[in-house]
Amino acid sequence: MHFIRSTIRVREVGRAALAIVLSLAVPLDVAQAETAPLELAVKATYLYKFAPFVEWPPIAFATPSSSFIVCVVGDDPFGDVLDRAVSGQRVGDRPIVLRRLARAAPGCHILYAAGSAAQPVHEIIDSVRGTPVLTVTDRAPDGAKGIVNLVVQENKVRFEIDDRAATASALVVSSKLLSLAVRVRPRS
Amino acid sequence: MSNFWKLTPVIALTTAVALVLAGVLMALYIERSYKAQKIDEVGVQAAILASTVAAALVFGDHEAAQEYVDALRVNPEVRTAAVFDASGTLFASYRRSPEARLPAQAEAPGTRVAGDRLIVVASVRQGDAAFGTVYVETVTEPFTRRLERYGVIALLVTMAVVVVAVLGVAQSALGNANAELAHRASDLATANENLQAQIAEREKVEEALRQAQKMEAIGQLTGGVAHDFNNLLQVILGNLGAAQRRLQRDSATGGGEVLRHVEAAIGGGERAATLTQRLLAFSRRQPLAPKPLDVNRLVSGMTDLLHRTLGEAIDIETVLAGDLWRTSADANQLENSLLNLAVNAKHAMLQGGRLRLETANARLDATYAALHEEVQPGDYVVIAVTDTGTGMTKDVLTKAFEPFFTTKDFGQGTGLGLSQVYGFMKQSGGHAKIYSEPGHGTTVNLYLPRLTAAEPAAPTGAAALRASPAGAADELILVVEDDPGVRAFSVQMLRELGYSVIEAANAEAALDSLRRSPGVRLLFTDVGLPGGVNGRQLAERARWLRPGLRILYTTGYAGGPIVHRGRLDPGVELIGKPFSYFDLATRVRAVLERDI
Repeated sequence: MHFIRSTIRVREVGRAALAIVLSLAVPLDVAQAETAPLELAVKATYLYKFAPFVEWPPIAFATPSSSFIVCVVGDDPFGDVLDRAVSGQRVGDRPIVLRRLARAAPGCHILYAAGSAAQPVHEIIDSVRGTPVLTVTDRAPDGAKGIVNLVVQENKVRFEIDDRAATASALVVSSKLLSLAVRVRPRS
Repeated sequence: MSNFWKLTPVIALTTAVALVLAGVLMALYIERSYKAQKIDEVGVQAAILASTVAAALVFGDHEAAQEYVDALRVNPEVRTAAVFDASGTLFASYRRSPEARLPAQAEAPGTRVAGDRLIVVASVRQGDAAFGTVYVETVTEPFTRRLERYGVIALLVTMAVVVVAVLGVAQSALGNANAELAHRASDLATANENLQAQIAEREKVEEALRQAQKMEAIGQLTGGVAHDFNNLLQVILGNLGAAQRRLQRDSATGGGEVLRHVEAAIGGGERAATLTQRLLAFSRRQPLAPKPLDVNRLVSGMTDLLHRTLGEAIDIETVLAGDLWRTSADANQLENSLLNLAVNAKHAMLQGGRLRLETANARLDATYAALHEEVQPGDYVVIAVTDTGTGMTKDVLTKAFEPFFTTKDFGQGTGLGLSQVYGFMKQSGGHAKIYSEPGHGTTVNLYLPRLTAAEPAAPTGAAALRASPAGAADELILVVEDDPGVRAFSVQMLRELGYSVIEAANAEAALDSLRRSPGVRLLFTDVGLPGGVNGRQLAERARWLRPGLRILYTTGYAGGPIVHRGRLDPGVELIGKPFSYFDLATRVRAVLERDI
């Protein structure tokens, strides 16, 4: 996997709706420090904010009014911060339902893979691969990355997007979101 | 066509108004479409910004948002652009100049125009979720720039209007000029017609005037000649008369042969006297003695004479009007006139025919008078003499009254017949008029003015005694005559009649004689005398010396001091030259015996 480092160039390409990946890979500065509360709150809001920029296939919903389900699998780092963030929010006409799971299960639309001893992150990712689930990872201990991988850059929460994995999961990620990503893995 | 000329200004005005209206509408349309277009443009830009900035806004990427906002600077019309988040807080902004102000807080999505600024606020949405608003403020094209564009339209419209106006005005002027020309042409035609009529009228009048002047001139000439002839004839006839009387007394001595010659000479002289009489009549210088006259009686009294004159081949018909007005005229001259006309008629009817004499009352109006020279409107007694003869051509007709004009063969006529009629009628205050048509005959109308005074008509045709009344030796007569021949003859005749006579050659000598001879009973004087005192003045002075003195004038022609307008003054006794022995005897006796 090769990611570009120059954010500005990626954004320009994104405005042009072109996803061109330049092969300049830089190792992530991964700090497994205790996550600050503000950062956690931002990440909590990000979870549902991705929804408008991603298209799920119709089969992902049982009915047109089915709920939009956000799952947290593994050790939940958010606590009630996530509940507060999601509270009252909707994705289109769909109400957002929050599920906390120990193991990955079908029915999730956005899946935050926190991971646990029982099921590490990469297993969670693998278990939903190919299904219409937007997987989100955040500095997984095993280095596994979902379709969206949250990173912190210059004290700001940013994200990487694996568009190829998204396509494989029948998800369409908006170019607007891609243009904002610090790194994009193109579809092909 | 004329409607078109009249309608032209209306059409031009309508066209001009339509053009101006079209120009204004076009400008309005352009203005509106320009605004709509601008609104669309700015709306699209705001929508693009809202769409592109959505993710940056959602994920709080100020840098990215700022880049998107700054990208708008390539459009010079954008003054301000800003992005507000869902809470209405300013997220990113761009200002072209420091003066450009940002809105204090987010506005509701929509479009508004503030002065020359166009402001569009669009909401930032992704899917169904709204995340904030974008604010784009642009400066519309400056009004002056737009005005320049409209100026071009206005200029074109103005030029078109001016062209239309000029065309309209020109057409209208042309139409008016055409109408005016037509009007003037019609006026001119009318004026021309009037002028032609006036010219024709004037030519007629001038022709009549020329004719009258010619007649007048001829009259003057013939009058003068006739006067001289009268004096000569007086001498000739007087002496012949004396010779005749002497020869008659001495007939026993065998003077019969000579007497016949003398009588023939007298006959010739008398015809000559008649000719001069006619000349004087034409020149209106014969002394007339007009008296109230019953024309019907005169005409019926003449029929016998006319029968003898015209012969058996010509019938005479008289039609006499009842209640015929009376007139005043010299009966002898009127008889002469009718005889002259009868003689002319006889010449026109050599194969026989009918002569008709008709009397009538006639009232001539102003119209008739205007058409005839020297005719006064009024009441007239008409004697119409009509023959069924050859008639006259128009050419002959115009010259018929001229003296010495005759259609008769040489030696058959004097050409003075109608001239005498003409002159006599004029002198009598009337006129003569000829109607004639070749092949159908001629009518001569004699118009004599109606007499309104209630004088009884004098009996005409009273038989005069042919015996010459004699005078007595105690009756002294003063003869005043400048012509020695006439004077000698007059003196001799009066002495033969038995009067005592003294004579004078002029007025001065006559007054001398009067003073020396108190026994003078009668002054017999010529009217025209040399030496500055005429017969009339002499008579007045003589009367002043001798009240009760009898006066008898003699003259060769009228028009002198005792004749006014062709008529003798009332109470004036006149004997015209040449007079006969008998005439003189009668008149002298009458004057002497008349009561004063």
